Amino acid sequence: MAAVGRLSWYCSRGFAPFLLKRNLLTRHQIAAVSLQHYPALWTSQFHISANRHAGGSKAASLHWTSERVVSVVLLGLLPAAYFYPGPAADYSLAAALTLHGHWGLGQVLTDYVHGDLKVKLANIGLFGLSAVTFAGLCYFNYHDVGICKAVAMLWSL
Amino acid sequence: MVPRCMLDGWPNPNWSWFAVSRKMLCVGVPLKRICLARKLFGHLQGSRWAQRAAAAPDTRSTPPPRIKKFAVYRWDPDKSGDKPRMQAYDIDLNTCGPMVLDALIKIKNEMDGTLTFRRSCREGICGSCAMNINGGNTLACTTKIDTNLSKVSKIYPLPHMYVVKDLVPDLSNFYAQYRSIEPYLKKKDESQQGKEQYLQSVEDRERLDGLYECILCACCSTSCPSYWWNGDKYLGPAVLMQAYRWMIDSRDDFTAERLAKLQDPFSLYRCHTIMNCTKTCPKGLNPGKAIAEIKKMMATYKDKAISA
Repeated sequence: MAAVGRLSWYCSRGFAPFLLKRNLLTRHQIAAVSLQHYPALWTSQFHISANRHAGGSKAASLHWTSERVVSVVLLGLLPAAYFYPGPAADYSLAAALTLHGHWGLGQVLTDYVHGDLKVKLANIGLFGLSAVTFAGLCYFNYHDVGICKAVAMLWSL
Repeated sequence: MVPRCMLDGWPNPNWSWFAVSRKMLCVGVPLKRICLARKLFGHLQGSRWAQRAAAAPDTRSTPPPRIKKFAVYRWDPDKSGDKPRMQAYDIDLNTCGPMVLDALIKIKNEMDGTLTFRRSCREGICGSCAMNINGGNTLACTTKIDTNLSKVSKIYPLPHMYVVKDLVPDLSNFYAQYRSIEPYLKKKDESQQGKEQYLQSVEDRERLDGLYECILCACCSTSCPSYWWNGDKYLGPAVLMQAYRWMIDSRDDFTAERLAKLQDPFSLYRCHTIMNCTKTCPKGLNPGKAIAEIKKMMATYKDKAISA
């Protein structure tokens, strides 16, 4: 048990040189922990899988599938909006683009933002950004020329 | 047979030996005869080597030395306050074996005994000598020394790993992750265990090709940016490819459970198809494809299978 404690300490502290005396590097500390007897302890040393979201739900794979679906829909929507511009295309584009961006940026945050508080703040910020984007695009569609027309005007400049 | 650890020196008279006896083994010569041949050959070999060594100074016209510079990452945990540094070594390629591992062994044997690295099989099957050579993760034993003498060969430990000493990375997390995917055959019904072999069709066996060859050298995982940033929670390409290897094994009954274990944003879905893993794999395997296959399976597997 002492060895487990020391191992966890050593893992959590990173590699301070004074910890790495030769006796720490030899195999006895690992051998001393009979892994069969403490599988839970052993795996808890390393956060092998963040299975917090699991528990029988297929949330993660559904999210992945939804991402692919939106990407493919967007691929079809762009030429559709070119050939059939109008309010339907405008609002579909607004929704699909916002969702695509929201999930894409969400992946970036999951990759690079670490720490519970920071993750929470980043997610709130992202949600705010996406909400404002969607509201802004809808406002633009309703009160102005709409996305399709705006892109066409950009090209005609 | 010469113990492996004795094979460090180069050139080594025992090497040809090794090759001879192995070739004989290949064609299936009975062991007894090999032993006989070994005795006979051993004498010949020994005396021939002695002759050559004695005659060498007279006959050999010394070619100009080909000095190659190696810059090797050094860090000693036992020296308090030691900072990592690059240490340069000059090696004459005329007196060195062709592979980077030969150069490292030469440095350790003849120049600097404190240089620390892992090595074992020296033929790319054990995965011990995985390191970052000239910017890419490979096995030192299967990587030829770049013979361009104007270029410095740079050797680092596997990137973004904790370093134990010099070129030795700490693979504890990597191994713990491998352990977590339960890389062994699991059966729902164990009553038939040990009675007879679990047979596979030729096609089912073929599906494991390109997966089972992995030697877990960790070159791919440590080349993956996602693994750099989230190595504590993301399993990494090597481990995921082995997870896939057991998922598609026709004899394994726990495919759905294995898949369900990856249902979180990190274990699997930190893979963004960067494909560094496939590019760097010293065994020419394709972990990126295996992960893509897992993602497809994740989208389609049936929950019901788990309760069954």
